[in-house]
Amino acid sequence: MAAEIEGFFKNDLRDKIASSKLLVVGAGGIGCEILKNLVMSGFKDIEIIDLDTIDVSNLNRQFLFHKEHVGKAKAVVARETALKFNPNVEIKAYHDSIFSTDYGVSFFQRFTMVLNALDNRAARNHVNRMCLNAKIPLIESGTAGYNGQVELIERGVSQCYECMPKAAQKVFPGCTIRNTPSEPIHCIVWAKHLFNQLFGEDNADEDVSPDTADPEASGDAGKEALDSESNEKGNVERTSTKQWAKNCDFMPEKLFNKFFNDDINYLLSMSNLWKTRTPPKPMKFGEHDEIIAEMSDVASSAGVVRDQKVWTIAECQQVFAESVNNLKEQVLKLNEDDNLVWDKDDKDAMDFVTSCANIRSTVFAIPRKSRFDIKSMAGNIIPAIASTNAITAGFVVLHAFKVLEKKFDQCQSVYVRAQPNARNQIFVPEKFITPPNPNCYVCAAKPELILKIDTEKITVKELRDDILIKEMHMVNPDVMLDGKGIIIISSDDDETECNEAKLLKEMHIVDGCILKVDDFFQNYELTITIIHKTAERDDPKFEIVADKDVLKTAESVEEVKKQKKEESTSQPQPGPSNGASSSSNGTKAYESDEDDLIIVEPQSLVAEKRKHSAGGEDESPGCKRIRIEQEPTASSSKGSTAMCSIDDDEDLICIDDD
Amino acid sequence: MVENVIHELTAEEAELYDRQIRLWGLENQKKLRNSKILIAGLNGLGAEIAKNIILAGLKSVTFLDSAKVSKLDFASQFFIPTTEEGKNRAEACLLRAQALNPMVELTADTGDLKDKDEEFFKKFNVVVITEASIAEQTRIDNICREHNIKFFAADMWGMFGFSFADLQEHEFAEDIIKHKVISKPHEKVKTEPVTHTTKRSLKFPSLESTLSFDFKSQYFTKRMKKTGPAYIVMKILQKFREDENRDPLPAHRDEDIKKLLAIRDSMSDANLIPDIYFEHVFGQISPSSAILGGSVAQEVIKTVSQKDAPHYNYFFFDPQTACGFIERIDTAY
Repeated sequence: MAAEIEGFFKNDLRDKIASSKLLVVGAGGIGCEILKNLVMSGFKDIEIIDLDTIDVSNLNRQFLFHKEHVGKAKAVVARETALKFNPNVEIKAYHDSIFSTDYGVSFFQRFTMVLNALDNRAARNHVNRMCLNAKIPLIESGTAGYNGQVELIERGVSQCYECMPKAAQKVFPGCTIRNTPSEPIHCIVWAKHLFNQLFGEDNADEDVSPDTADPEASGDAGKEALDSESNEKGNVERTSTKQWAKNCDFMPEKLFNKFFNDDINYLLSMSNLWKTRTPPKPMKFGEHDEIIAEMSDVASSAGVVRDQKVWTIAECQQVFAESVNNLKEQVLKLNEDDNLVWDKDDKDAMDFVTSCANIRSTVFAIPRKSRFDIKSMAGNIIPAIASTNAITAGFVVLHAFKVLEKKFDQCQSVYVRAQPNARNQIFVPEKFITPPNPNCYVCAAKPELILKIDTEKITVKELRDDILIKEMHMVNPDVMLDGKGIIIISSDDDETECNEAKLLKEMHIVDGCILKVDDFFQNYELTITIIHKTAERDDPKFEIVADKDVLKTAESVEEVKKQKKEESTSQPQPGPSNGASSSSNGTKAYESDEDDLIIVEPQSLVAEKRKHSAGGEDESPGCKRIRIEQEPTASSSKGSTAMCSIDDDEDLICIDDD
Repeated sequence: MVENVIHELTAEEAELYDRQIRLWGLENQKKLRNSKILIAGLNGLGAEIAKNIILAGLKSVTFLDSAKVSKLDFASQFFIPTTEEGKNRAEACLLRAQALNPMVELTADTGDLKDKDEEFFKKFNVVVITEASIAEQTRIDNICREHNIKFFAADMWGMFGFSFADLQEHEFAEDIIKHKVISKPHEKVKTEPVTHTTKRSLKFPSLESTLSFDFKSQYFTKRMKKTGPAYIVMKILQKFREDENRDPLPAHRDEDIKKLLAIRDSMSDANLIPDIYFEHVFGQISPSSAILGGSVAQEVIKTVSQKDAPHYNYFFFDPQTACGFIERIDTAY
């Protein structure tokens, strides 16, 4: 309890530590470490909030928790253990969501400072807005594997969490998933969708059957296929996969033959798809070249070997049958309308996805993967270790000292790296604090943005749920059509319920309209200019442009995109490179709670690229652009342009902590 | 030296260590489980190093410390209950340290580092020495060199700290990432990273040989203009420890700052090291201990698993700049 003894700190810092009140949001890997540093440093008044409970896989780093705490609330146990370190601290623990309306702007205003230790973008965005509006300094942090990052968010001084666009989640076009997978991840996404179709909640975006409207397949063959489809089987079966599965009592053989034989034969009939691709080979249940005796160890054994080896086809089929039978049992125990929710830690759910993904991979001549690897991809697991979290949390609390001393100029972002950069640095402070983006749609004086949207296809409900809440992380928005004073969406549900099903166009929201959006809870007002665009099939239904100046360039990018699209349809199209853009259509590869904060550190790129070019042969195409970054990054805008222009994933440092 | 039997991981271990196995792989996790570590000096820095390696899952960790628990330890020593003042520091750590991971064997040794001979150190794969005199560090490093035991020395003064590694002949695997073009000729160029693992080795100089390093040379003075004066700050604090037979004390704050400034003026140009460097050199401050302790623990893990290039050979954490960097100090260089 350093601050309790005279002489550890200078007196003014000592007093400030003893008299401040801090909020820690998140009691996971970073949160545990932060709390330890705070109580040992002598902070006296701390509150900590976390929604989560303790899991065995947390114990390798969330060191305030032990085996006997598994299943208990993280915030509560973190408080108990930290109090043993220093009994002279007031710690209040909340086992709750930070989104709860109990924690409004006035809640945040009670604190000297907020320290984020979160694992998902939605909560980070939310706390960012709350702190900006409460005018409270926020220290943001994240880790992924050996990498970590800490930054100060202070209104008017530094960039807020939403000043720069974050890379959108990787989205695969529906037809790649349903018709033409070419990588293991495509088959894994498909297998998760199949799980939901059979045992989980129905979602129209997650159809797993062959996609007859694939533009590539269009032509006679596709139509023929469609005709024969409706002739042979009729449309009834197609309407609900789940009902069909129930009708045949989830018989593994029937399910297997439908998804891996009949549907594949159907895909083969769409002959246009296979002009340049290797056609898939249908598979029937029980058909494999392997000797049955070999598969016994996967069937019986559990644990490490079963997880690590790549299963044979015979083993996949066997696990498929077992997991389907077990999941059927699970479903039967539920009430009529209840569904299973896919969980990477549920043995049967994970077995089902592993076997289905591998069987589909085999059908499409894609390499199979181990259950261990598939779990990483299907569950979007971000590796995490104690040391990176300890280091990162150390920087959070050192930053907190500087904020207490009002030395904002010394609060540059710090990056924790796996390997040294060109200057031999492992913990790398930025040279300058990056000033706020004047066009930020969150922290600008009058936040505004442009929404390009198909006003003839999007309903008011979709505007609220998919765009304002899901994509823009509002909690309970009110929307008014400017100039006419018409209330489109009210945070008081009943008032505007009748509008929900209407298309934007029907509510007179058309090209050029201005919407005034107000989230009372976040104390966040936003002006949205609507631009109508006709969305083609598999196009994003909407696009958010944060920076008005970008609109012109965005349009020219649009042109290029259209041309590109004719050349190659297999690649998801990125949004305009400058200004926030996101799309919401197609299929999300990763949809777990373990969300991502994606950050690019210019210096790391320099070092990486140097290494590559020194290696000779394969120079990344990004090289030239990134080289520019070797010049000192004096202006932030320059840095950010480079950030956005990088397109290979490897250069993105994914920061997180669960 | 130490037997090298590799057992398969149990399902329980696989579950507990899942998130790190996904980072460093199953084989490295097995290597960790076969290694025996000594940590000498159980202040906050020792506790941070111990915490991270115990969580990672080693075979055994031995705490060596003859000192008694003092109030100053409570600034960062989170293993020791505040009721244990006056007890032996190594023993006072055991209970909470063990709670972190029941699968690691923990031992407390209340002996004096000075009395530990060759036979003692031969029991370990890695030795981490904190809060020792230069003479002790040198003696132990020389023993370790005889027996190919990996040696680390580390210290933390307030918020400032360093670590030193002598891994002797160290072989390790390193992943080299290259970009392979996967797009067809007429498409936009698209690449995918391809990882190759290569074997490398490094030969480390002894601690003794680095002590005669001339930090006043023109070359190093020029280099310090870029990296900052951390190396000399360490030298000043080590000199203080030799002269006073203790580290700077919070209770003697003003007096000790004066002494440190006097050492600075005798050793180096005052312009090179601003006074502010000596404001936070008292006790061990928790967040800084976590930063340096995290770094040292990661180096121990790297060493044992023989994966990735280790820090060659000094590492500094400078709280003034928030920078952590590797400094190569080698008289042959």
